[in-house]
Amino acid sequence: MPLKYPQMELAIRKTLPNLGIELVDIDGFTCCPDPIYFKARDKIKWLTIAARNLAIVEEKGLDVITMCSGCISTLKEAKYTLDEDPQAKEEVNRRLRKVNREYKGTAKINHAVVLIRDSLGLDVVKKSIKRPLEGVTVAIHYGCHILKPSQIMHVDDADYPSILDDFVSAMGATPLDHKEKLLCCGKGCMDEDLPLEMTETIFASIEESGADCMGLVCPTCFSSFDLGQIMISRKKGKTYNIPVIYLFQLLGLAQGLEPEQVGLHTHRVKADRVLEKIKGSAKV
Amino acid sequence: MAKEKIQVDFRFRDKLNKVQGGKHHNYCYQCSACVAVCPAARFTEEFNPRVILLKALLGMEEALTGEDSPIWLCTNCYSCYERCPQDVRPIEVIIALKNMAVQRQKAPASLAKLSDNIAKTGVSVTVTSAVNRRRQELGLPPIKTIPIEELKEILEDPQGAAKDSE
Repeated sequence: MPLKYPQMELAIRKTLPNLGIELVDIDGFTCCPDPIYFKARDKIKWLTIAARNLAIVEEKGLDVITMCSGCISTLKEAKYTLDEDPQAKEEVNRRLRKVNREYKGTAKINHAVVLIRDSLGLDVVKKSIKRPLEGVTVAIHYGCHILKPSQIMHVDDADYPSILDDFVSAMGATPLDHKEKLLCCGKGCMDEDLPLEMTETIFASIEESGADCMGLVCPTCFSSFDLGQIMISRKKGKTYNIPVIYLFQLLGLAQGLEPEQVGLHTHRVKADRVLEKIKGSAKV
Repeated sequence: MAKEKIQVDFRFRDKLNKVQGGKHHNYCYQCSACVAVCPAARFTEEFNPRVILLKALLGMEEALTGEDSPIWLCTNCYSCYERCPQDVRPIEVIIALKNMAVQRQKAPASLAKLSDNIAKTGVSVTVTSAVNRRRQELGLPPIKTIPIEELKEILEDPQGAAKDSE
């Protein structure tokens, strides 16, 4: 995310302090790594890199929050697997001992949006709002990895989730239901056509809902939908023009920040529809 | 119709049992709950998690870990893991099969492209001057240095370990 979508990191850095969260950047962290491709190559090495990151967090006595659904998926699944499978844990720790580290399993791991709901409460979000997003309708795309499998993630009901709807409501915007709210974006599928068919199904569903924008918390899904709309218009000749907004960018707008301050200008599909609606909204 | 003799390749199943996540294939009773929730199965007939599990139970190594294996169509959405009443965790069995395909050098070439960076640099995406410029424009701190030597050491395979488990 810091490399491909730094605007999301920017939004996190600008909005979380307004909720009373102090951010500490940890030295030595690598990519989590990604829960799809590197894991497909060698799961033990995938577990090892994740465990090393967690070991660093444990050494500092901190808890870790991620801004990304893929990161939370990797770190939580690695913890679950290592705590469940002593053989895998021994092999991973054998590797970590070479660099004087050890995975113990003591650090708490959360996505930022889960930390906000569970440790702060959404009232803290409401209190930070300076420009309520009244009249803005948001079609939420949950994305798979923050929810499933629920026996590892413990975030929400995987079939009837509400965490992101409630987050958006706290900003004064209106979450809109649509038929394909829980469909996978398809990015993890190693095929050219299948992912596009899936994203197009989701776009059609959102278009039907009439929402002003799409809201999400996963950068991989973001790529499927922002760049994905350009691909679909090129390959299939259909233009949707649905702005895709990372929910912490939306929170930034609601906290009174300007679109550039949360990096919205870097998106391929411009968020004009949303910005037009909040222009008249008085800052309180 | 003459009965076909079905032979199960237990040697392959033993190998699958030893790969992290592979062992759970033994629990599958072919109920198809995974198929009902699978987005890849919804969009293509080429991918069916129940059939993949059936082939695993029969030990069909080439069909699953050969070059034309459908396992790479999995979207990694975890819906099957969520739904499975037997704790098979079909996606994790598929990941184990992918690991085995990699060992046999039968994975699609694009996999290396998508995952080479992490072991070499510690990050998935190549750090370019354009990335640093964009971060600077947005007022973000520079990317921290990644301890690559430490990463190499923990990813090193034990000496004498067979590259190919066969």
